[in-house]
Amino acid sequence: METLSLLGHGFSVAVSPLNLLLLVSGCFAGTLIGAMPGLGPVNGVAILIPLTFAFGFDPTSSLILLSAVYYGCMYGGRISSILLNIPGDEPAVMTTLDGYPMAQKGQASDALAISGVASFIGATLATIGLTLFAPLLARAAIHFGPADYFALYCMAFATIGGIAGVDPRKTLLSALIGLMIATIGLDPGTGIPRYTFNSFELYDGVDAIVALVGLFAISEILILLEKRLVQANDGLRVRFRMPRWSVIRHTLPASGRASVIGFLAGILPGAGASLGSVMSYTIEKQISNARNTFGKGDPRGVAAPESGNNAASGGALIPMLSLGVPGSGTTAVMLAMLITLNVQPGPLLFEKQPDLVWGLVASLYMANFTLLILNIPMIGIFIRILTVPTWALLPVVVAISFVGVYSISNSHFDLYLMIGFGLLGYVFRKLDITLVPMVLGLLLGIDMENNLRRALSISGGDYSILVASPIAVTLYALTALFLAVSVWLSLRDRRRQADPAHQGGALD
Amino acid sequence: MGVAIFVIAALYLWQARGFQANFGDILGPSVFPTMIGLIALVLSASLVIAPSGSVSWPEPRRIARQAAALAVMGLYVLFLGQLGFPIATFGLIAALAVLMGGPVPQSLAVGAALSLGLFVLFDRLLGLPLDLLGSWFG
Repeated sequence: METLSLLGHGFSVAVSPLNLLLLVSGCFAGTLIGAMPGLGPVNGVAILIPLTFAFGFDPTSSLILLSAVYYGCMYGGRISSILLNIPGDEPAVMTTLDGYPMAQKGQASDALAISGVASFIGATLATIGLTLFAPLLARAAIHFGPADYFALYCMAFATIGGIAGVDPRKTLLSALIGLMIATIGLDPGTGIPRYTFNSFELYDGVDAIVALVGLFAISEILILLEKRLVQANDGLRVRFRMPRWSVIRHTLPASGRASVIGFLAGILPGAGASLGSVMSYTIEKQISNARNTFGKGDPRGVAAPESGNNAASGGALIPMLSLGVPGSGTTAVMLAMLITLNVQPGPLLFEKQPDLVWGLVASLYMANFTLLILNIPMIGIFIRILTVPTWALLPVVVAISFVGVYSISNSHFDLYLMIGFGLLGYVFRKLDITLVPMVLGLLLGIDMENNLRRALSISGGDYSILVASPIAVTLYALTALFLAVSVWLSLRDRRRQADPAHQGGALD
Repeated sequence: MGVAIFVIAALYLWQARGFQANFGDILGPSVFPTMIGLIALVLSASLVIAPSGSVSWPEPRRIARQAAALAVMGLYVLFLGQLGFPIATFGLIAALAVLMGGPVPQSLAVGAALSLGLFVLFDRLLGLPLDLLGSWFG
């Protein structure tokens, strides 16, 4: 009941004219960004963050805008997966498997409607889950002491890279490099400058937003320049009509199952939307593939990954809001924005800023209805926008990134730094080092050191306090277990590499 | 790759030893950097000994294109103050568009339209002061 009244209050925050406007434009922009190949939720949200600063919105409105974009990307990713067989973003990869065959059979409009409804189901169920579970987790997390937080951060770094596919050593190194960058600047405990090389620009440390925009937006340009530039506009002449209800009804059980799986995958740190959609598709295939129709245009194979990735994106917001530890790349980027606006997510956020938390939750419900309308009756707009060629689009994205970063600090140094991070991001991506752990290290580094410092002040310098509480011990045990499993999986993968049948790799 | 990170981690550690504070903080400024530096050192060493994965770097022509894009961005920052926002951004968008395979006339048109559009959007509508002409023309 308490939750319901808080949610009611949240709706009163969310329906202010400014927030409604941001919600609708965020949904529109998100669908667009998701639909365009090469731009996904992480880059989309990273590019928009400087803009929210330029507008000078308060934290609640900024978060509503970015979450609408985030949800919108998850809807939009399916459009080019189905029509062009090019996933609009990472989590939409699985949607190509059955979505494109459906389009080839002339059922593109059915596939778009089914996946739109599936996205709605996944995202709505996940938002309900968020409403119920985030406050519970926040209440439990009140009991965390500094040593427990230190353990929690260790676990976040160990798990954010995901379980399978990547070499766990590279993921850890990526996180450590992020932590190293975070120690640049004046040490908050003692005021000693560290790693500043006597440059005053570095005394404040490296701004996370500058790093993020460089890592995700600038490196994307370099990745695109490396590929052969193809422009695929065939298959875009789709007349959209509403499909029969019976077609959609048939896929509802698949959407329901996939939502639960995706939601759970989203809450787990490091799993994120890609894993959510992969798991939902694989499990749905095992349940429903009796007549061997999957991969040949089975509507349930379109519904399952779409529900899965949308549910996962809702789930990923839970650890970000209630623990301050993001569960995916995009929520890490959102955390960066909140920290820059002086909002520290975590258990206290629910008590201190109910407007922000519940305004966000309420606007997520509204975003879902908005997106359903944008993505089914109005889908024609987005299909037309997909014909804009990449060469015209990406340079503008770069220009906006420059203006946005410049508007935060008015510093040319930050712009050079952003280009540098772009190059670093590109090299790391080529080396199969995921960038998300690095971002997380950059964001949480100072807080991690502060918690260590606090824990040691409590114990008077005795390091055994780090393993004194049962919460911390449990977290370390889980971290060790996770690392053991991922090392085992990567060793197994390496043994399988000789066997081409098992190639496929990770999608996150 | 592993070697590069190893060297960076070693330098980082070496620097960390130099941080000293003479007053009452129990952790001090160098413990945390030493911790992460040590782990990074061990992990990068293991990547040197047992590397994983293989990298396929792009062919030289594409690397040249990437380097050109980076140079365009660097020059943009360098001359932003002298040229003013609209002209510099026109150059940035048009040059990147050409590098990405856009036809030259259309790229120039897109650059002209959008640099002015962005200027109006940010400077006039959002109240973010941008340089119109720069020090060379203004």
